[in-house]
Amino acid sequence: MEIFVAQLLNGLSLGSMYVLLVLGFNLMLLVAKIIQFAYPHLVVLSMYVCWAVLRYTDNMLLVVLASVASCIVINIAIEPIFRLLAKRHGLDINVSFVVSMSMALLITDVMSHLLNYGYPIAFPSDWVGKSIFSSGLIAFSAGQAYALFGGIAAVVAFFYLLYRTRQGRVLRAISENSLLSSIIGIPIVKTRVLSYGVAGLLGGLTAVMLARLLGSASPGLGDFVGMKVVAASILAGLGNLKGGLVCGLLLGVAESMAIGYLAGSWSNAIAFMMMLIIMLIKPEGLFGIRA
Amino acid sequence: MSSVLYYFLAFTGINILMCWSIYLPYRVGQLHYLTVACMLASAYFSGFAAREWSWPFALILAAGILIGVLISLLPSFAIGDAPCFTVVIVGLTIIFIFKTAVENSAALGGTIGFFGIPEVQHLLPLTYLLLAAAGAFIYRIDHSRLGRAASVVFVDKNTAAALGVDVKQLGMFFQIAAGGIAGLAGTLYAFLIGSLFPEFFNLGVIGTLMCMLFTGGHSTMWGVVVSVPILEGMQLLLPSAIASWRQVIYALTLIVIILLLPGGLITKRTLVRFKGRSRA
Amino acid sequence: MMRKHAKSLVSVLAMAVLLVCLCASSLGAPQSTVVVDQWEIPFLNCLTGPIASIGAYMSWSAHKAADEINQKGGVKGKPIKIVDLDTGLSPEKAVEQMAKIVNKSLVALGPVPEACIMAAMPLAVKNGLFSMAASTTYEYAVQFFPYTVAWHTGSDKTLPPIVAAWAEKQSGVKQVVQFVEKSGCWPVMADAHTVGLSSVGVKTINVEVPTDAVTFGPLVVRALAQKPDGFVLTCMSEKAAKIIMELEKYGWKDKAKILIFSSADDVSLYTTGGEKLNGCHIYGYLDAEMETERWKAFKEAYKKDHGGMDPVSLSTIYYDCVYMIKDALQNTDVTGDPKKLKEERAAIREHIRNIQDFEGVQMSWSMKDGVPSDKGVFLFVIENGKKNYVTYVDAWK
Repeated sequence: MEIFVAQLLNGLSLGSMYVLLVLGFNLMLLVAKIIQFAYPHLVVLSMYVCWAVLRYTDNMLLVVLASVASCIVINIAIEPIFRLLAKRHGLDINVSFVVSMSMALLITDVMSHLLNYGYPIAFPSDWVGKSIFSSGLIAFSAGQAYALFGGIAAVVAFFYLLYRTRQGRVLRAISENSLLSSIIGIPIVKTRVLSYGVAGLLGGLTAVMLARLLGSASPGLGDFVGMKVVAASILAGLGNLKGGLVCGLLLGVAESMAIGYLAGSWSNAIAFMMMLIIMLIKPEGLFGIRA
Repeated sequence: MSSVLYYFLAFTGINILMCWSIYLPYRVGQLHYLTVACMLASAYFSGFAAREWSWPFALILAAGILIGVLISLLPSFAIGDAPCFTVVIVGLTIIFIFKTAVENSAALGGTIGFFGIPEVQHLLPLTYLLLAAAGAFIYRIDHSRLGRAASVVFVDKNTAAALGVDVKQLGMFFQIAAGGIAGLAGTLYAFLIGSLFPEFFNLGVIGTLMCMLFTGGHSTMWGVVVSVPILEGMQLLLPSAIASWRQVIYALTLIVIILLLPGGLITKRTLVRFKGRSRA
Repeated sequence: MMRKHAKSLVSVLAMAVLLVCLCASSLGAPQSTVVVDQWEIPFLNCLTGPIASIGAYMSWSAHKAADEINQKGGVKGKPIKIVDLDTGLSPEKAVEQMAKIVNKSLVALGPVPEACIMAAMPLAVKNGLFSMAASTTYEYAVQFFPYTVAWHTGSDKTLPPIVAAWAEKQSGVKQVVQFVEKSGCWPVMADAHTVGLSSVGVKTINVEVPTDAVTFGPLVVRALAQKPDGFVLTCMSEKAAKIIMELEKYGWKDKAKILIFSSADDVSLYTTGGEKLNGCHIYGYLDAEMETERWKAFKEAYKKDHGGMDPVSLSTIYYDCVYMIKDALQNTDVTGDPKKLKEERAAIREHIRNIQDFEGVQMSWSMKDGVPSDKGVFLFVIENGKKNYVTYVDAWK
């Protein structure tokens, strides 16, 4: 039981990060109609920004601002590429996937060439923090607490924005029907840019929380996380925000349990196998496609 | 023939086969990465059959194709008409599972790799002979009712279904055919390289194939025939000073091509124009 | 008249002495005319992709050696030129790069890493090119003998004594958990660790490290549930550091009872782990705190070009390789004449495979048929990013 609780805590804090990534990913899919495979890579890039700022100041607010600002700026900066893509190809998410895969490759390669000589970066040990609670094998670090509770706060704020504000209604309207939305006067381009901005905001916050949870980052981290984010999103049903919430959390817990209880290198294979079976039985995902 | 030219031609041939194995299911709008798993399974089987059982090359080739077909067949019952990204994730998942299986198999060399696959005489002409056969097969499909049906499915599944196309069966057919071609590519790859390593079959392979397919053009089978030699040649000719930025150059090339030439270098329109000029 | 004869006699004698001196001086070295303007040594290295940083410092060390040699006049009056060929972690590219050089190069460095070795070395073997894949382990190198060289002896011979030496220094260790990542020959090395530990009565429980794990808390919980007395880390450097950080989080205090294997002795270990590594043991083939002049000069140059980071095990390998090639070019009758390619390749190969008392940047060693015959392993304790010497174990003695 002690091991189970310990693994559950690990899984929940990791899952909360997947949730944030899946939410940002799905938001762009719903509103901008793109598969942004490079989104987790952008988040990792923002972790590098955190690290760079931390070398000059330990002011937490500045670090968070830098991370959020960088993620928003980069995410909005690539928006014109996808707009041009939509102009040329129509809203073909397959092509956006190919382009974003190239972007992911580009970001990873730039990080492995130019940032910290390509070596992993480490955040100060007080960032991850010591255990704030420890009993036998059950330990809960400050980093985990930031990830879990910060994640919950970010998700609540995100859903508040989406369901309780005017801008949220606009975002939802475009995700339902962009043609009708444009007829009733919603500025499509501006709102799509807004979705990139909101995804960037979520990404920047995720970067800070991931930094506190993991304590380090490397150029390859985006690839590791990226695959899982896309998988969780598809498992939930592409573009399904609430489904993404459940599946992101489930994926984190399943991953922890698999590593904790199953035989090493087979653990992830078995987790993937389960996912495969679900996808083969329900190709549209557990909660249905919304994109 | 120089070694550089030999390997350039051999890899070009194998990569065209693999690009075709992605191209075929993409005719119905599916990115079927499972073909990389077919390639992996067939390559390992071929290596094992050649080294341990001393099977003749022709038999191994047939078995390699069959393995590719079988691996594609089973999931196709479920994902024949699945959305593109379900097919993507199923493909990536099966690649991962196969890699794990190889890494845990002592008979296949485990994580160390599989050495000592015997050489085959005249592998290069054989590769191009088989490439021509696969090309003829795809050409026939493209110019048949199946090809036309696939074009409709690519644009709109519902319209295709309304027109009487069995979308699932069509998808299954393209997936299975792609598996067979990937199986063929896997066998040729094993004999060309002579040793196998689980890490040969990773996300990088998919990235390269996608770059080749979308640069060349995904709407006709001829696109990759142009793009593969160009991209293969480019990596050989890049000066060493900028070679370390190769991945960045590839990624940028792909993005620019997709943005500026949406259909890639060769589109159906290009072919029509080319045919018109030939007739004139 | 007499004076004239005497002068002639002196002249003749002087000329004779000169001739004898010239002959004598040429007895030691082979007489040949070098036909190349420079000694081109291709290096099939991984300069792109996720391990580009490792490729970069390997390339740096090869170039450093070449620069030093060239500053001293080169080899037989000709400079050495290292030609970097990027394999990009792609087997296909590795084969194509090998194909570029396989019919013209005298000798090559690399390929790097294992995926590229597996793909490209068969081509080198087929064409008789000696390519020094020195960064890999014996288990890979031996597959391509005599066309490559092993930098260390087999894991089964080298590793058990050093792991046993570590275990013997720890009091009360009866059972350890070994974190094993299934990559390349690491499982073979893990087996060798198990042999070493069991030789001193320590039981080993293996816990496999998934290749794509994002967090390591679950793995550490699983390991700690076995109630071990110590840990051996046989996994990638970054993962090793993260596991140690997690162990600390779960209250593991006795860092001395953590042993990190040599392949994790990479910059990533120290940049990721930082002060959390203090007290951990690591075994490796390089003593960064050695006090020889040559080593200090190498270390300073390395730190200057690598943001103040210390060199690690892999940093020096290709530096020594280039000096080994220099030794071979110097002491064999190699001219670079393409017509004599086959014989000259064989001469270089056999010289290196059986080189005697080679003065590496850190230690002197000899080779027998491509395998070092007297090379041992260091055990260190890590303190603030520095590896402090604990012991040296030579499996041959």
